[in-house]
Amino acid sequence: MNYQFQWGVVIDNLPYLLNGVWLTLMVTAVSLAAAIVIGLGIGLLRISHRPSLRRIATIYIEIFRNTPALVQLIWVYYCLPVLTGINLDPISSCMLALSINGAAYVAEIFRAGIQAVPSGQAEAARSIGMSYALTMRKIVLPQAVRHMIPPFVNEAVSILKYSSLVSVLGVADLTYQAQTLSTTTFRPIEIFTFIGVVYFLLCWAMSATAQYFERRLKASS
Amino acid sequence: MHTPSNEIMVTIRGLKKSFGENMVLKGVDLTVRRGEVVVVIGASGSGKSTLLRCINLMEIPDVGTIHVAGESIGDNAADGSFRMFPDKVVNRLRTGMGMVFQHFNLFSHLTALENVTIGPITVNRIDPEEAKRLGVEMLTKVGMVDKADAYPSRLSGGQKQRVAIARALAMRPKLILFDEPTSALDPELVGDVLATMKQLADEGMTMIIVTHEMGFAREVADRVLFFDGGSVLEEGTPAQIFCQPQQERTRDFLRRVLSPAATVQHPPLEPAVNTETQATPDSSLTRRPT
Repeated sequence: MNYQFQWGVVIDNLPYLLNGVWLTLMVTAVSLAAAIVIGLGIGLLRISHRPSLRRIATIYIEIFRNTPALVQLIWVYYCLPVLTGINLDPISSCMLALSINGAAYVAEIFRAGIQAVPSGQAEAARSIGMSYALTMRKIVLPQAVRHMIPPFVNEAVSILKYSSLVSVLGVADLTYQAQTLSTTTFRPIEIFTFIGVVYFLLCWAMSATAQYFERRLKASS
Repeated sequence: MHTPSNEIMVTIRGLKKSFGENMVLKGVDLTVRRGEVVVVIGASGSGKSTLLRCINLMEIPDVGTIHVAGESIGDNAADGSFRMFPDKVVNRLRTGMGMVFQHFNLFSHLTALENVTIGPITVNRIDPEEAKRLGVEMLTKVGMVDKADAYPSRLSGGQKQRVAIARALAMRPKLILFDEPTSALDPELVGDVLATMKQLADEGMTMIIVTHEMGFAREVADRVLFFDGGSVLEEGTPAQIFCQPQQERTRDFLRRVLSPAATVQHPPLEPAVNTETQATPDSSLTRRPT
């Protein structure tokens, strides 16, 4: 191998590349937050006593887990406006697509977490007259959260990684910045190695923070 | 000793419940007076627990009527089939009935005190300070106030069950349903729980207890029901049931639970029930042989 690395191209364009990091983090944060809210709703439908509601949730989950995120992204951006007349800018389309995609996975995490709480807990809560909503809020979910942290971090990391797909719609995230920089400097090896490291550090920091909180939660119980 | 009043607390008529093909309750009639302690005995799978769970609507009865403190807890159709009231009504009805479970079901993310106060705070919406006073009072009653800040994982089974009783009491229920409250306990922990229950009985709490503690039944019950095959086969005072059971199946059941040797070895030639019951007069805290 006789490739001459020239890391100067990364250092010179650091502000330009890191600019993309903000967009990556922003898209990830918003998508994750929306995925949690939608996912909780779908997850609750998934464990509903009504078969029709369960079916709706199952269909949603199967559709979004069994189609590529990239296809969903492009569909939301190009097809949704034609079908519904709602025009979204590229960033919003990306966040919408990542949210509804992430929600399918989050819903399964909620379902598994809720079902991991022994049924006697909910039964005891109902026996003192707590409503279903109160039982969920005060008894089941606080306990389910503990079971949900590890898979939830996986999902957050995966949304962060999926956020790189938004570059195909021209959203100037980390990957997009790297692509444009590569085409102008002809140094893709340095640039993509560098952003790989940046993605790794971001994901790793997320996992490490979650592990820290998980340990604290365990210690307090 | 407590004396039940003549006021009727629970009336059950023609209660039936099936799980799929399996008919678990085949028409149960039961009347419980205020302050009465009714102990339900019978083999596993005879429908005892299902009866309790129908009373507080953890299970939805198929047919029959249930009245608690004069109020019907279901909306019966013309053909007698049982229909649930809206959730709001069901929740309100449940606050009037405490339930104590075999596996305690303490809320594991809350301290003992929080377990007791969460109902009064979230359901009855009483002031948290007031709830705390109530919680301390109830924990004191069951002898658990020194563990008020402990999480359930730090409590023994017997301690958990006493906290669970305090949790039920804090809702000021009209009656408490006990579903095999000592079956999951180590033998040496059973006594404290039974003593707490006896104390409640003496204070005039209306109690329906499913248990295998025959000694406790004999000592505390006003009435003992022998459940067999989904209905009440025989009922009477503890003396009647334990000393002069009329039904062969009752005698058979008592022989099995009261003399462990009989189930392991050959059954004795003579029914040993009478001598058994007299031979162990102070067996109030004996545990069912397993």
